[in-house]
Amino acid sequence: MKFLFKLKSDFLNGGAKLLSEVQIENLTKSFNDLLVLENINFTIFKDEFLCICGPTGCGKTTLLNIIAGFIPATSGSVLMNQEPIDLRKHHLSFVFQEQSCLPWKNVLENVKFGLEIKNKVLKQKISEEEIDRKAKDSLELVGLRKFGNFYPNQISTGMKQMVVIARELSVNPSILLMDEPFGSLDTQTKEFLQKKLLEIWSKLRKTVLFVTHNIEEAVYLADRVIILSKRPAKIIKTFRINLKKPRNKLSPEFMKHREEITNLLKSENPKIF
Amino acid sequence: MDFLISHNKKKILLNIIAILVFVILWELVAISVKSPFLPDVVETATAFIDLAKNGDLEGITLFDHIITSLGRIGAGFGLACLIGIPLGLVMGLFPITIEGSRSVIDPIRFIPPIAWIPIVIVLLRGFSRYVFMIWLGAFFPILITTIASIPRVNSVHINVARVHGASRGYIIRHIVIPSVLPEVFAGMRVALGVGWMVIVAAEMIGGALIGLGYLILKYSELLMIEYSIVGMILIGIIGLLMNEILVQIEKRLFKWRSEVVV
Repeated sequence: MKFLFKLKSDFLNGGAKLLSEVQIENLTKSFNDLLVLENINFTIFKDEFLCICGPTGCGKTTLLNIIAGFIPATSGSVLMNQEPIDLRKHHLSFVFQEQSCLPWKNVLENVKFGLEIKNKVLKQKISEEEIDRKAKDSLELVGLRKFGNFYPNQISTGMKQMVVIARELSVNPSILLMDEPFGSLDTQTKEFLQKKLLEIWSKLRKTVLFVTHNIEEAVYLADRVIILSKRPAKIIKTFRINLKKPRNKLSPEFMKHREEITNLLKSENPKIF
Repeated sequence: MDFLISHNKKKILLNIIAILVFVILWELVAISVKSPFLPDVVETATAFIDLAKNGDLEGITLFDHIITSLGRIGAGFGLACLIGIPLGLVMGLFPITIEGSRSVIDPIRFIPPIAWIPIVIVLLRGFSRYVFMIWLGAFFPILITTIASIPRVNSVHINVARVHGASRGYIIRHIVIPSVLPEVFAGMRVALGVGWMVIVAAEMIGGALIGLGYLILKYSELLMIEYSIVGMILIGIIGLLMNEILVQIEKRLFKWRSEVVV
């Protein structure tokens, strides 16, 4: 039965073989005496869209920051192709919850920024024109080609987040880490950007690790959803969402997934604080 | 746009009124005090015309006085920037150096430049006296604002560079410095103002018989106060112009910011 399920899921994944991209092994993190993450184990497969969902303050952002190498883990490891992540060697990208456009650079220069660092770090000799072209292609992808000469303070919050996504995709990352990128947006903008992100993902097929507390967002975007408990965060359950994208948020299957996750989180976490 | 134009017109009109009020008050005080040592507006204007036409008693033109003073402030202020900005950056990046040097730096920065005069007279000669005095006034505002600007660099911006593998040096050059530049520039503006205000003290001891500060002192010794007041007004107006120029440069350089606060 399990085997059949595996076959079915492979079929729904377009028959792609599940290759591991990043492995998180026995990851534990505590700040002084406060245990935040407790023995987290999971694998992010190549080209999958993986969501991590959990109550506010459970340590989702901490988990992402450890994977990105911003803060060290207390114990356990994060492996990419069987070796610990080295930011100079592995191509990671990060879309932050906070606004992360560099305000002194215009939109095009912001997109070029990642490419310029990579060029420098990897001692590649990519020409200025090539960087310019790649940055413009990336802007085209998010639909902001015309806004290259604008400064971040001249465009909307939603557009700024798309500029960041363009910047982070332009370097062709092995994995794109996203920390509630649409958390601070209004509902309409959020829905528009979710759709846009899905469109881009379908086109590029990137490995994405997307952190959110919004269950609907997770069910809308993800191939798999990992549910974390409240602090100290443990993995409670992993859901596979076998629905064709783009998904209809009003379809019964969608609602069913949503309700299932909502109920699980509610039973796990009856009180918010 | 109509609103903006009318707003500008209003500003100009109000400023003309402010100048008139100032002149009238000055005139009223001069008339009521009736002292030969408190010249009124007309006497001061006459003194200005005399200075502009004929130069001072030694025949040095007003233009030469101004240029000489500007040269001195340029040297002192330039040196303050040259030392203050790099030092401030290094200290800001290594906060232990701030904590570790507090007991020396903090008291020194509260000593007014005028108090240094006796020591400066003993230790320095000629042009270096002017430069040191102005440097004293300008250095600390630059150093302190530069140091204070570093912790305010947005850590998310640093992480944007880190995730792509940028080195510490790259992050300093491409994230930290552009982030702190507006604040450093604002500190420079304050420093230029302070340095310019120190000019009179500097020219008191400099020795050369030229400079706006010297002009004020010389004429006050001769009890020709209306000439001193011309010097004062010129120092004020030149200070205002220098500040205005820096504000304009700031607006150009940092056009990505919504507004440059004056």
